[in-house]
Amino acid sequence: MPAEPRFSAPARVADGTNGSAHAAVALTGVTKQFGKITALDAVSLFVRHGELMTLLGPSGCGKTTLLHLVAGFLIPESGEIAIDGQRITDVPAYRREIGIMFQNYALFPHMSVAGNVGYGLRMRRIARPEIDRRIADALALVKLAGLEERRPRQLSGGQQQRVALARALVIRPKVLLLDEPFSALDRNLRASMQVELKEIQRKLGVTTIFVTHDQSEALSLSDRIAVIADGRIRQLNTPHEVYRHPSDRFVASFIGDANVLRAHLERIEGAVASVALGAARVTVPMRTLEGSAVGSAVDLFVRPEDLRVAETDAAAAAHGTIAAQIYQGGHIDLYVDAPEVSSGRVLLRVPSHEAASLRPAGTRIAIALAADVAIAFRSA
Amino acid sequence: MARASVRSGRAAVRPFLRLFVAPAVLCALGFAAALAAVMQYSLRAYVPGSLEAGGFTLANFAALIRPLYARVFLDTVWICFLTASFTLIVGYPLAYALVHARNVALKSAILVIAVTPLFLGEVVRTYSWIVVLGNNGFLNSMLLKLGLVDAPMQFMFTEFGVITALVHVTLPVMVIMLAAALSHIDRDYERAAASLGAGPIRVFLTVTLPLSTPGIIAGVTTAFAWTFSAFATPQLIGGGRVNMVANLVYQLGFASFNFPFAASLSVAGLILTFAVLALMRAAASPLERIRQH
Repeated sequence: MPAEPRFSAPARVADGTNGSAHAAVALTGVTKQFGKITALDAVSLFVRHGELMTLLGPSGCGKTTLLHLVAGFLIPESGEIAIDGQRITDVPAYRREIGIMFQNYALFPHMSVAGNVGYGLRMRRIARPEIDRRIADALALVKLAGLEERRPRQLSGGQQQRVALARALVIRPKVLLLDEPFSALDRNLRASMQVELKEIQRKLGVTTIFVTHDQSEALSLSDRIAVIADGRIRQLNTPHEVYRHPSDRFVASFIGDANVLRAHLERIEGAVASVALGAARVTVPMRTLEGSAVGSAVDLFVRPEDLRVAETDAAAAAHGTIAAQIYQGGHIDLYVDAPEVSSGRVLLRVPSHEAASLRPAGTRIAIALAADVAIAFRSA
Repeated sequence: MARASVRSGRAAVRPFLRLFVAPAVLCALGFAAALAAVMQYSLRAYVPGSLEAGGFTLANFAALIRPLYARVFLDTVWICFLTASFTLIVGYPLAYALVHARNVALKSAILVIAVTPLFLGEVVRTYSWIVVLGNNGFLNSMLLKLGLVDAPMQFMFTEFGVITALVHVTLPVMVIMLAAALSHIDRDYERAAASLGAGPIRVFLTVTLPLSTPGIIAGVTTAFAWTFSAFATPQLIGGGRVNMVANLVYQLGFASFNFPFAASLSVAGLILTFAVLALMRAAASPLERIRQH
């Protein structure tokens, strides 16, 4: 009989979705300053039980500071932090029951794999047989059984990461914190580790906060994404919502590729508006266009996959000249110079099977909108 | 053809290698010549009343085992051992605070306390210790005022006095070496340990201290070798009652003009230093890879 890892998933609260009382991790009005710099400005964030919440933002946005506040490495100037409804704002890190995985893994170089994984258990003064059993279970979970006596420096990058994950999980943490864990891995390994991490996280049901600056990583792994910039949460929602309905200009341009096209506001109909781009019309929400008058210029944000090469000029949004075609396997990235709508190059993402009929660089084409809904912002 | 390209490639990588190495080679040759001269002298016979050495002999080294001299060697090793140990005990907290302090004022205060002794000459530092340790010195007047002693305590001309001053002399080197080792320990190790449930003391004992062992070994061996050649401090504070190898060499060489025996004492001191350092390395090697499991 294969040794089944004996991890107990924490009980899910019936509906721990809203409010600080039932959130797995609750930050309320948390402010953190370093000297005169405000790293986090009155941030409130509620993480649900068992969810994988990503903190996504450019470097220096405050996402790592937030993680360190939850871990207890930093104490906020104001605001409260609670885990499972218990206030832990000034509880030191070593009493918080938190598992953390660092960017460089921070495996203790003077201890073996088993020594590293068992460290948290020894600190809890757990009996030796139990420690050995839990080390074996944790290493089985991350598929490293048999490497107990190795030293961290004798392991590959991927193996070191697994040890770090096992070390963080073996203490059955209330919350798992991941600080840019994949950035040191090469591309192929990164993808497979991401899948594996997601599986383990689901299996254990452990509430996880994941910090990254890589938007594609955030989109593929998260249950919800908190987009952070300048010490504030700009948007908090599911990957699909954040990608499809960005709350502001920053989120729209930070997540995924976006073409910013010069268009104008044609008609306002309550909460939505119609925007004209060449001969094409597209519906956009009015909330991001507060105060814009009919006829004014707006910046239309269009995802590359929402543009296509037009067969006829009838519904052409713009005309342009193909500058470059980049074959990406499943799709082709088409860079088009279209000076009437964009000062930069417009990016079209076309499925490869449609690309057979495409013409070489220098060909003039008409661009059409493949979607009838988009998002627009007032011209900057 | 291929060979030529390899050559030119090397020249391009390190074009000034020979130029830069030349002064080092000259210095090394000078040191080697001086050392050879001392070694040569150590094997010559002493001719009383003459500055010229006699023929080759091993008598000087045979004389070293006489209790009078052997005693000085043992005392020196013991003083060095105590000095290195106390310097470590005093220096570690200073280095730790220096690396971990966030307050800039505290950081610079520690740096000033720990490192300025380097910029004062050994003689100046030793004289200031005479002011502190003398019978009417600062320490005794404090003890008398506080009523802890009835009569001044004897600190001058004692091993205690010599070791106290030597610790002060050696401290900067120790603090610098330990601080270098401590600052190379990634803070994430300590954070990881804390997240796994280790309180500050256990973080220190299980992570920071073991990871700083290379610095401790380097600091202690350097302090030991540094102290072994101490001269001014034992000369002034020991006042002839606490003698280390360098003082004995001085007495024999410049009071008795027995250059051959002074030379053999120096050579023996050098060999002993190497031997003790090798012993310390060997004893410390298991520490370099502490097994926790």
